[in-house]
This record gives sequence, C-alpha cells and structure tokens, in this order.
Amino acid sequence: MTKKVDFSKTRSDGKRVAGQQDFGVPGSGGSDPMSGLQDIEHIPKSIGGQKSQPRGPHVHDRHITGTSIGKPTPLIDANWKITGQAKYGDDIRLPGELIAKILRSPHHHALVKNIDTSAAEALTGVVSVATGADSVNRFGVLPVTKDEHAMAQDKVRHIGDLVACVAAVNEETAIEALSLIKVEYEVLDSIHDMEEGLEDSEHPIHDRGKYHIGESNVQKRVFQQFGNLSGMENAAASSEADWTFAGVHHGFTEPHAVVAHWDPSGRLTVYSPQQVPHYLHRALSSVLDIPMHQINVHRTFVGGGFGGKSDPFPHEMCAAILARKSGHPVRICFDREEVYWINRGRHPSRIQMGVFADDEGRISGIETDALIDGGAFASFGHVTTYYNGVLHTSPYEIGGFHYTGARVWTNKPASGAMRGHGAVNSRCAVEVGIDAVSEQLGVDPMTFRLANLLPPHSRTITGFRITSTGMRECLAKVREQSGWDEKFRKMPFGRGIGVGCGFFISGSGLPIHWDPENFPHATVHLQCDMDGGVTVHTGAAEIGQGSDTAVAQAVSEVLALPLDMIRVRSKESDTSPVDLGSYSSRVTFMNANAAIRAAIDLRDKILKATWELTGYHPDQLVLGDRRVYYKHDPAIGVSWLQACHKAQADSGSLIATGSYRTPPMGGVHKGAAAGLAPAYSFSAYVAEVEVDAETGFVKVVKAWAAHDCGKALNPLAVEGQIIGSCHMGMGQVLSEEMKYGRGGNLLNPDLLDYKILSVHEMPEVIPIIVESNDPEGPFGAKEAGEGPLLPILPAVCNAVYDAIGIRPNELPLTPDRVHKLIEKKCKVMGIDEPMDLPNPSFTPSPLQDIIAQRADDHAQRDLERDLLKDRSSYVNGVLFGFDPDRPLSEQDEGWREAITPTQEDLVDDNKRAAKAWKHVERRYRGDA
Amino acid sequence: MRVPPFTLHTPTSIEEAMDTAGTLQADGKEFDWIAGGTDLLPNYKWHLNTQKDVISLASIKEMKTLSPTHIGAMVKLHDLVEDANSHPLLRQTAGNIASVLIRRQGTVGGNICLDTRCFWFNQSEEWRRSIEWCHKCDCDTGADCRVIPNQNTLCVATYQADLAPALMCLNASIHLISPSGQRTMLLNEFFELDGMKRNVLEDGEIVSHLTLPDDAADWHGKYEKLCLRESWDFPEAGVAVSWKGAGNELQGLRVATTGCESIPVFHQEQAEDALKNWQGKDSIKALGQAIKKEVKPVNNTYFPPAYRRKMLPVLVKRAIAPLFEE
Repeated sequence: MTKKVDFSKTRSDGKRVAGQQDFGVPGSGGSDPMSGLQDIEHIPKSIGGQKSQPRGPHVHDRHITGTSIGKPTPLIDANWKITGQAKYGDDIRLPGELIAKILRSPHHHALVKNIDTSAAEALTGVVSVATGADSVNRFGVLPVTKDEHAMAQDKVRHIGDLVACVAAVNEETAIEALSLIKVEYEVLDSIHDMEEGLEDSEHPIHDRGKYHIGESNVQKRVFQQFGNLSGMENAAASSEADWTFAGVHHGFTEPHAVVAHWDPSGRLTVYSPQQVPHYLHRALSSVLDIPMHQINVHRTFVGGGFGGKSDPFPHEMCAAILARKSGHPVRICFDREEVYWINRGRHPSRIQMGVFADDEGRISGIETDALIDGGAFASFGHVTTYYNGVLHTSPYEIGGFHYTGARVWTNKPASGAMRGHGAVNSRCAVEVGIDAVSEQLGVDPMTFRLANLLPPHSRTITGFRITSTGMRECLAKVREQSGWDEKFRKMPFGRGIGVGCGFFISGSGLPIHWDPENFPHATVHLQCDMDGGVTVHTGAAEIGQGSDTAVAQAVSEVLALPLDMIRVRSKESDTSPVDLGSYSSRVTFMNANAAIRAAIDLRDKILKATWELTGYHPDQLVLGDRRVYYKHDPAIGVSWLQACHKAQADSGSLIATGSYRTPPMGGVHKGAAAGLAPAYSFSAYVAEVEVDAETGFVKVVKAWAAHDCGKALNPLAVEGQIIGSCHMGMGQVLSEEMKYGRGGNLLNPDLLDYKILSVHEMPEVIPIIVESNDPEGPFGAKEAGEGPLLPILPAVCNAVYDAIGIRPNELPLTPDRVHKLIEKKCKVMGIDEPMDLPNPSFTPSPLQDIIAQRADDHAQRDLERDLLKDRSSYVNGVLFGFDPDRPLSEQDEGWREAITPTQEDLVDDNKRAAKAWKHVERRYRGDA
Repeated sequence: MRVPPFTLHTPTSIEEAMDTAGTLQADGKEFDWIAGGTDLLPNYKWHLNTQKDVISLASIKEMKTLSPTHIGAMVKLHDLVEDANSHPLLRQTAGNIASVLIRRQGTVGGNICLDTRCFWFNQSEEWRRSIEWCHKCDCDTGADCRVIPNQNTLCVATYQADLAPALMCLNASIHLISPSGQRTMLLNEFFELDGMKRNVLEDGEIVSHLTLPDDAADWHGKYEKLCLRESWDFPEAGVAVSWKGAGNELQGLRVATTGCESIPVFHQEQAEDALKNWQGKDSIKALGQAIKKEVKPVNNTYFPPAYRRKMLPVLVKRAIAPLFEE
C-alpha cells in the first residue's frame, strides 16, 4: 500500500502552513526532489551499476551509493592546514601557561648519584621543578616491556636521556634554571656497537630481573624455523649477503610538543600530536596514578608521525607532572636535536640474508639472521624483532624459513617503529638476494618472482592468512609501464633498472593493549541531529594520512550524503570511542569497517522512517544525494531531512554505532600473532637509476610504483602515500642515516646533516594503483600507508647492479660507500678506470622458458581463486608438492616447526643474532 | 633554542661603522659583524662564541655596489647570480650556494668570511657539553680539539664556502677597512691557516669589497662542487678552475679548492707546472693528482676525508672539461 506524501509545507495559495517550521534550507538536502541521483559509474555491476569488477563482487557492494568512494577527494582537513589555521602541538595556548624545558644527560651511561635543584627553584620566574623522584612509575608502549620513566630514576642511558625538568614563566628563565640544577653522575662504561650488546656486561643497560637474558644487553630474541631446511643445503643457486643498515629517522616536520593542563574540575587534559592517543591515555593514568576517566587526551593536528609519535613519551609525562605541581598549564616544545634524542626511528641493523633456489627455479629457503640495535629503551622493539623475520615469508612460496633475530640495548637514542616497521631492511635484503639468485639461474628476475607467488586465499609458511593479493598484477603493470623487457641488462654502463617487491600488514591482528576476545579493534559512533548533518565520533588518529577523510567517505558513501554534511570528531578521548591508534597501517581497514557498520545502522533507521512516510519497504528504497526514494520511481521519496526528522520524532534521537574486530586466525606457536593481519598489501616497484662510476653518485631517474591497496577509497590519497613513501624510502636507500662519531655521539641531529632528499633528487614517480578487492576490507580496501615504502629500497639496489654490476650490501648508498665498492671491484679486476668496468649482461638459461610457463599457469590459477571458481585450500608448500589438506609435517619427515634453537642451530659462530641464544635466562639458571 | 640577547648597531655608512667599532673597542667590548646573517645567526642560536654587541652592515649602501670588476661585500649572492654583467664563473659558483632563500639573504662578503665548520663544533650547547666542548669554542675550559686529539694549538674546522676559489681563479683582490685605515691584498693572501683565526682580519676590520683585474673577462672557468644534495649542502670539496686561451694555445691556468682544509687553497705551483708542460688531458690528470696530494682534509664533515681527496682529480677534470669542448 502506498501513502501519498505531502512534500510541500505550503498551501495551495502559496503561503506557509501555520505553525510549521521549515528546516529545509537550500543546500542541506531540503525538499528539492530534483537533487542528483546516484552516480551510476561508481556503482558496481553486481548491484546494477556500471563499474566493472574484474575480481568479482564484494560484500560491501550493496552499500555503495556512488557518492564518494573511489573518487579522488582532497583531505577534509586540508584547508585548515593550507590556510595555517590547523593547531599543532605547539599552537595550543592556554591562559597562564608556563614553558618547560628538560635537563638531559650529557653522558652515554651513568649513575645519577644526586640532583640538587634548590638553586633552580630559587630563581625568579621558576614555578616548579621536577625530577625522577616525582614519578617512579614505569611505562612503555608495550605492556611486556615497560622500561621507561618520565625522568631518570637511578641512571641515565644515553646522551639526551631526561634527568629533570623546569616550568617557568618563559623559555629564557626555564633555560637558565636548567643550568642551575646540579647533578652528580658516576659515569659507567657505555655500549655503542650492537655486537657488544650480545656479550655479558658488568652493567647491563636495563635489568629485567628473572627474565634477564644472561647478563647481556639482549632485550629480545626470536627463533623461527619452518619447513624443510634441506633445500637450503642442496640449493642450485644461493645468495648469502651480510647487510649493514644505518639507523634512520622519520624526519617529520613538526617537532614533538605537548601542553598539559589540570582544569578547575580537577581533570587532566593533555594536548599532544599523538599517533596513538589511547596508549598515552593509559600511560598517563599509570604514571600519574589517577584513573583514566580523569584524563582527557586531546590529539592536536599532527605534523607528520610515520611511527615517531606513537610511543607514550617521557616529555608528555613531564608536562603533566609539572602542570600538577605548578597548577598552571605547561607547554613543552622540542628543539630539533631533542627530536633525534627521543628518536624511535628505524633500527640500525646487521642482517645476514641467505636466499636459496632449487633447479626448478623455486625458492627453496630463506635464512635470515637479524641483529638490530634498539638503543636505550624497548619501545616497539619486541615486535620489531619478530617483524624483521616474519614479514618476509610472503609474497613468495618458500621451501624453508629459518630466522634468528635479536634486539640489543645500546647507549643510543631508542629505536622504535617507523613506516614499514621492521619489514623494510630485511625486505631489501631478500629482494636483492632474489635478484642475485635469478642471475645465477640465468632467469629474468621479474619472471622468477612471477613464478613463485603465493596465490589469493592461501596461507604462508608460518600461518599468515593471505586473502587478496594483487602482487601479480603489480609486477605485470610495472613491467609493462617501465619498459622492463627493453631495458633490463640492455642499457649502457652506468644506467640501470631494478625491481623490488613488498608485503605489509594491513592492521595488526592482535592489538597491543587489548583483549580481542572481548573488545573490538575500532568503534565508530554516529550522531545525527535536526540539521541533517552527521557527526562521526572516532578515536582514529588523523596524522596526515587521511583517516578523517576515509571515515567520512565511508559514512558519506553508505548514507549518500555529500562530504560536507559529515563532521568528524576524532580529537578527544572524552568524546571519542577508543581506537587503538594510527600504527601498523590499521586505520583504514579497521576504522572504515567500523564506520560502514555504524552507517548501515543509521541508514536502517532512516529507511524505517522513510517506510513510514512513503509506505515503501526499505528493500525497495534507495539513498542518493540527500534523498531517499523508491527505486523504480525516483520521483517518489522524501528528502534526507524529512526522513531524519521522522526518525528522530519516532525514537527521540538518531544515533548509531559500529565496530570492527578481526576474525580468528593464525597459528598457535609462540610469536604466531606477530605479523598476523586481517589482510596484507602487496607492491612492486621498478626504479631506473644513473650511477656516476667516477664519483659513486646514484641518481634515481624514474620510478614506477604499483601498490595493491585492495580498493582505493580515495585514489588521490593513495597516490600521495605512494609518492611520499618513495621519497622516504629513497632517503633511506640513498642518503639518510643517523651518523655516530667516535665515542658514540650522534653527529647529525639536525636537518642540514641528516640528509633528507631535496626536490632535486626526487625523481618522477608513477603511482599505479592495483585493486585486489579484499573480501574483508572496507569496500575491498587494504592499507596504503606503509607497504608502499618497502619496494623502493631493493628496486634501487637492484638497479645499481644493473647499472654497474655491483651489489651493494650497506645502506645508505652514499657516494663514498658506492665509490669504495667501485674501487674495490676495479682492484679485483685489475681495471684502472671505473668507466671500463664490464656492463652486466643477461643470457637466459633453459630454465627461463620453464618458469615463464609456470608464471602463466599460476596467473590462471590465481584468477580462478580470485573469482572463487577454485575454492580449494592452498598453503605454502603446494608448489613443492605438498597436499594442502594434510599437516605438512605428516607428509615430510624433514619438516620442522620450531621456535627455540637446538645446539646444532647455533654452531655457526659467524651468525650474530644467534649468539643471543647462547645466554640462559636468569630464571633458568637458578641464581636469580 | 634561543638566540642570546645582543645589542644591534646599524650604521648607515662605512665611516659610521668604523666609529661604532672604534667606540666599542675603546670601551673594551668584543663584538661581531653581521652581513646577511645566514651563518652568524644559526651559530648564535647554538651559542657558538656569541658577543653582546653586533654591528650590522645591512644599511650601508656603498657596500652594495656591483659592477663587472667591483663587488661590494654586501652584494646579495642572489643578485650576483642574476647580474648578467658579472663574470660567468662567479655567477655559476654563486648559483651553487645553499638555496635560493639563503642566497637572497646571504652576501658575498659573508660568504668569503664564512666561519669554518666541524661536526664537533656546529652543534647545540647541550650537545657540546656532552663532549666537554672543543678547541674552537672551549667555553674557557681549554678543551682539546675533538677531531685530532692531543693537540690544542690548531683548529682544523673546515672552510666550506663556495665563492672564494672562483674569485681566486679570477685573481681577485680583497679590500679591507678598519678604524685605523684601509688595505688591499690578493684574495689568496687573505686566508690564514687556522680554523679559528681563518683570515687576516683584525678586530674591527671588515671586508669592504672585492675587485677583479681588468683582464678577468678573458678568463673562462668552472666550479665543481661535491655535495650530496643539489640544494642546501655546503661543499664537501669544491674545485674552481679558470683558463685563458683555448685548446693547444693555453695561455693561463689557475686552480683553487675549497672544503678541504681550514682555508681555501690557491694551487699556483701545480697549475704552473701543468701549464709549463701542457699536454692536454694528460696534464689535467697529473694536475688532479698533484692537488689531491697537496690538500689534507680531516674527518669533520659529512663525507669521509679519504673520499673527498679522491674526488679532487675528478672535480678538476670536470671543471676543466669545457676547455676541451671549445
């Protein structure tokens, strides 16, 4: 039955009906029945639109209204930034604020014997002074490794470690007061080389009590052995390289800054440019000994994070402590060298990487020994130690995986999480190893990769669940667009081309501070009022990556509302549901999924109201540009506002909520959760370089960057992430490094000598978006923030080999390092002039055709699995003849799945991280 | 980080500047000169040898004169780059300095008198406290040099300005003025081998301008700069070469280097040797090797010293390459 709808509130004589207020002002989706309909080009074919779906339909298709998903969209907070009105950490000004400065350690490692602050306290203008005695509670981003304090307790662990802090009426006074604090130190021996950290020490940098590993500075050790390792011993081709990676820093524009304030009602508000406000919330609570509900964490605009603003930081605690002591708001803003002292950049690493292949051109094994330099604190290091191994178990199918990892403390600024967390260095080593192995086998490295990929809907050797993968398409696209087949090994000496792949988690399956059995990973609340606009409450931290825009787009898409009707409130913990923060590339996947669910909830209420108004069942109603209408006759319907008002009239309020949690997945071995994600992104890049053989300068001429992000919710933002990742990754491969001088001092804590590439060095990057349509991703989406960084490093290294025939194994490839390699090669070959070095060439072996055929067969296999025509199970090992439906260990006596090494595994004295396993934990020694 | 407070004096003529300097000297006050400030102010922020009084030369018009043979000390680097009448070698060299923003602020005189640089010196006060200071800014502790320990007589900080070698190759003269008078010398006599003293300037003395000989236009040249990035970076090594005549008829050859020692070096002897037995490219090879042998960089800048030295023959070769293209 159809009810007649009265669209107008005007009488037949044109006058307004008495007593009725018209909310329908122009632009708000008022009563204009002629507002635009659905954009049919953005509606998938599966639900009657025109958008093609080469990889089949998606579960979210029926929520697509053609409004904003997939359309290049400027970030919704961009105008705030470009007009200078965005308030970053140091832009927060509260009445009566004090400025605080931090006294830092001038020693690498020393006991703090005494601190005398009396002279500083007596200085006019100083309001309060705090030391470690004011805050004895420990904190740290990971619950298992809380090893930080607001300020030094008994010892300082690196130059720049926090000792005391002063709040004063202005910066000058605070600086002067610092010079009046007298600290007595007893200097201890310090450790700067990560290999020294493996040895027993008289004064380990931290004491882990009964969990301490020997008396060494080993903070974390990991061992994983999966598969049949005999394939490594009997390999037809092998590459074993000993890599050195310098530590690199995020190099974000905004230095750390914080404002803390205890308001008149006795609650604490902390304003900080945080990537992970919720962990700061928890840390503040435990450090200050106050309940979480007494704290409001306010995330300001973030001037770049990249992982460097994801720990709860000691200076944030200092500001809160000083604010409590002084009764005033307290502001702290770092100088640039303080940014380097707090660091949390990528770990300096020494990685021994073995890549092995059999005579059929299969990767029979990968053997990795990664020693990583954690600096003075644990930070995310526990996870980093796993990631250095487990994140190179895909995209390739491998016969065996042997990983030993160790993270040691040294007296340096702490390393932590940085874009591509833990995966970047070992990925570079693997991909260069694959290039070397391809060359030995006489096959094209592009074909070699294509013939060894894991298919969609498969499982890796350590048990990660691969859902969608666009790896094959990424490789195919960069191969074609870069002109690979015309260029590889065919360019003149000094010019080269190289390929590299990447694989990264799209959200961490197991949250750090959370019980996934009981709580969701992300929650989104929606609220709609009389004006018809929708307010989104989310805790996802917008750090410039576009998370506010992504969540607004998701809501806008389901509700068919223009983006300007969606308001995102994501800044304050008081008003936002808990979100775990912007790390491990989880926000788009988890938060947009939660937003879709919330929007569906809200939409259902709107449809119910429309049913009441129009008499058409929700199944027959469609949303399109601020209207809800009958799908067979768009003229019959109501405006969004009319439906809103009806829904509110019926239920008193129009609110909705949605959340996301990961499905159960992964193996059961210790460490199985590390690297586990609901989906993974894949990428393949080709870089073309010029190498000046006389000077060692490497210039990247052009890069083709294909990234599988599942579905580009916002292609503009995805392209921006790809290009930005290339810039950052190119910095690491070409020039960026934290340089430590004699005595262990950080020589370049500034942006002149920490060499971030300038516009001159930045080549043209062609971003290529590949959409693999992830079954569980929001509208099919996966991450695009970190994965795109990985492949550029090996692509450049492999291109350098193509250019001059030298495989580097030390990053960054600064001209002096490359020149040294060239000199060495000239000497070995007895050549005087570097320009006379031989240009590498390629002659395909008979294996080339065989693996090319296999790659073609696999392409067909993958397509069928993508479209779910083939639903058979697939695990890593099928390529080697295993039956995927039976435990692999039953099929092969040599199959191993071990997480602790045997004596036999540790016999090679040249392996570094393996040495960490020679220590016995105190609790097992019986002397603790 | 804050610049410590200082009194800024802004004379509008050289005469007034000399008066101001004289008065401060008479009062026993130490002071600094400031031209563009792109070198001095960052150093002040780092609290490197700061003074309570600073005399700015920015308002002195007569120091801004620019002609093909006369370059006022207060000529902006950017103006030198843009001036079509200036010597091409100077324009090309100046165009390599730092970035456009800095060139619009920095001056020719300031570039010539650039303070020497060192990893152990160009750091914040807190940083330097952690190494217990160094010889160049010892904060009254008598601290040793951190680059070459156990010697505190010589500072080995590196001179990393670009213009000097190019000007030397054009045989430029430098004109100095102080409350007690004026003097003029060849630019290659201006520098003094010590990272702290740096040049012959006495207290209260400034560079007023540089002049080029009348035959400067007959000299061609090129400057080659070794640095990691095309923008911002100081030279890790720099070579300027100039020549008169062409191909086999070479009449003159000059070479100067920067970024390798505490002062820029004019390699007169090596250039003369090369010219005497001129055999084209072979002579250049020998010249490059001779220069590599003469300079002794130390480990206090971004690139290791061995690499910087090894690059000198390459830079010489590339700087002189246009000679063979003509």
